[in-house]
Amino acid sequence: MAKNDAPLSVRGLCKKYPAFTLDSVTFDLTPGAITGFIGRNGAGKTTTLNAILSFIKPDGGEVLFSGLSMADHAAEIKQKIGFVSAGMAYYTGKKLKTITDVTRAFYPAWDGAAYQKYMGRFGLDESKTPASLSNGMKIKYALALALSHGAELMLLDEPTSGLDPVSREELIEIFLALKDEGKTILFSTHITSDLDKCADRILFLQKGRLTADSALNDFIGAYRLASCAGGVPEAAAPCVLGTCRTKDGCTALFKQADAERLSLDCRQPDLEEIMVHLEKEGA
Amino acid sequence: MNLLKKEFRLCMHPIAPMMLCLSALILVPAYPYAITCFYMTLAIFFTCLSSRENHDAAYTACLPVSRRDMVRSRMGLACILEGVQLLACLGFVFLRPLTGSTENSAGMDANLAVIAEGLIVFGLFNALFFPRWYKDITKVGLPFIIAGAAVFLYITLSIVSTYAVPFVRDVLDTPDPEHLTEKLIFLACAGALYAALTLLSFRLSVRRFEQVDLQL
Repeated sequence: MAKNDAPLSVRGLCKKYPAFTLDSVTFDLTPGAITGFIGRNGAGKTTTLNAILSFIKPDGGEVLFSGLSMADHAAEIKQKIGFVSAGMAYYTGKKLKTITDVTRAFYPAWDGAAYQKYMGRFGLDESKTPASLSNGMKIKYALALALSHGAELMLLDEPTSGLDPVSREELIEIFLALKDEGKTILFSTHITSDLDKCADRILFLQKGRLTADSALNDFIGAYRLASCAGGVPEAAAPCVLGTCRTKDGCTALFKQADAERLSLDCRQPDLEEIMVHLEKEGA
Repeated sequence: MNLLKKEFRLCMHPIAPMMLCLSALILVPAYPYAITCFYMTLAIFFTCLSSRENHDAAYTACLPVSRRDMVRSRMGLACILEGVQLLACLGFVFLRPLTGSTENSAGMDANLAVIAEGLIVFGLFNALFFPRWYKDITKVGLPFIIAGAAVFLYITLSIVSTYAVPFVRDVLDTPDPEHLTEKLIFLACAGALYAALTLLSFRLSVRRFEQVDLQL
């Protein structure tokens, strides 16, 4: 696949603030895949998404959607993308029907049948207002709008934040169904357990820098976690990537090759354990 | 056109139609009539305020429209509201003689010059409010205070001029159709000023809004 055939191609994206710098973020999205965009709060995930969507002006870099730049083809690109952000409720006092009526006028490819299908599937009532919806239902409504105008690329900013486990599970099932329909999803979150269930690839952002871009299984498979009741063995200390206190001692994260070389008693960590250990090391 | 429809259906504050009714204050014998136009600027301010609370910029920025279109539609809504307000005022200016007199002891008489004053009020408001607001759409209060202060200063000077400036006192502040030519020229000049200030405001607003980071 040529680089600029990717649904989204980001090259050297930079944005400087007095207390934070987004530093040359570069990645491509794989078509028809769910890409998890992880990092702790303040790592720059939302800044990256805002820059991708031209909500903020990057200080450098290039963003291409299927080879087209937002600067020259904004209207064309926005017909094909859907942006869903947690906690962002528009026009909370207006009925969903009114918001939908206004929204669909902007999209020539609006599919009324698809809209009705998603509203039914998500259990949404058009006579309600956003103010009367739960956070999960607001996300579902935003998804219904995006999917009804034929969005092929979904940019999701912390869509499961603040939701109960059942609602999160429901949304993950929806994302998997969308993936089956061929949609490409960039799923930004710090709730990594959600990505364990659905992501194909992982982008890991730390303090404004992209430190990992790989398949989920490769990313997880590259690390090992050791439980150390009496502390990290002296011989292994130089290879430790990060440690966390536990009630029995501590856990230490290693590169898989180092763990094998040192013959440590390890297990494969999950995404959250990797992120927490790496973040603690970087803190 | 779709964006303008969005402005009316999703953004316009419900107080705007109510402010239109205040055009009837022109029937009151002693009232600074230009203030009826200030009430509509208040409605525009509330529309911008509720837009911020309803994340209007985030919603609109996701639509397939440019930032220039976003400014054009919001200022288009403002201009339509201002135009309707002036038409309503004009209607009451025509009705006012039915009350027996068009005289006003608190400023300009109920005549065509009142409409010209309204145009100047709206032109000043557009020029001072929108460019400041589009510099940072999260801060809507300060631009309104500055624009409102300028509007009130103009209204005060206008009232004073009906007593202190001979041309205003003897020519403009008279019942229609006396000095109709002069009043029509004043109206045309005010219209041109309104158009120039609003166009300038639009261009400046677009330039600023295109550079601003939307913190959504």
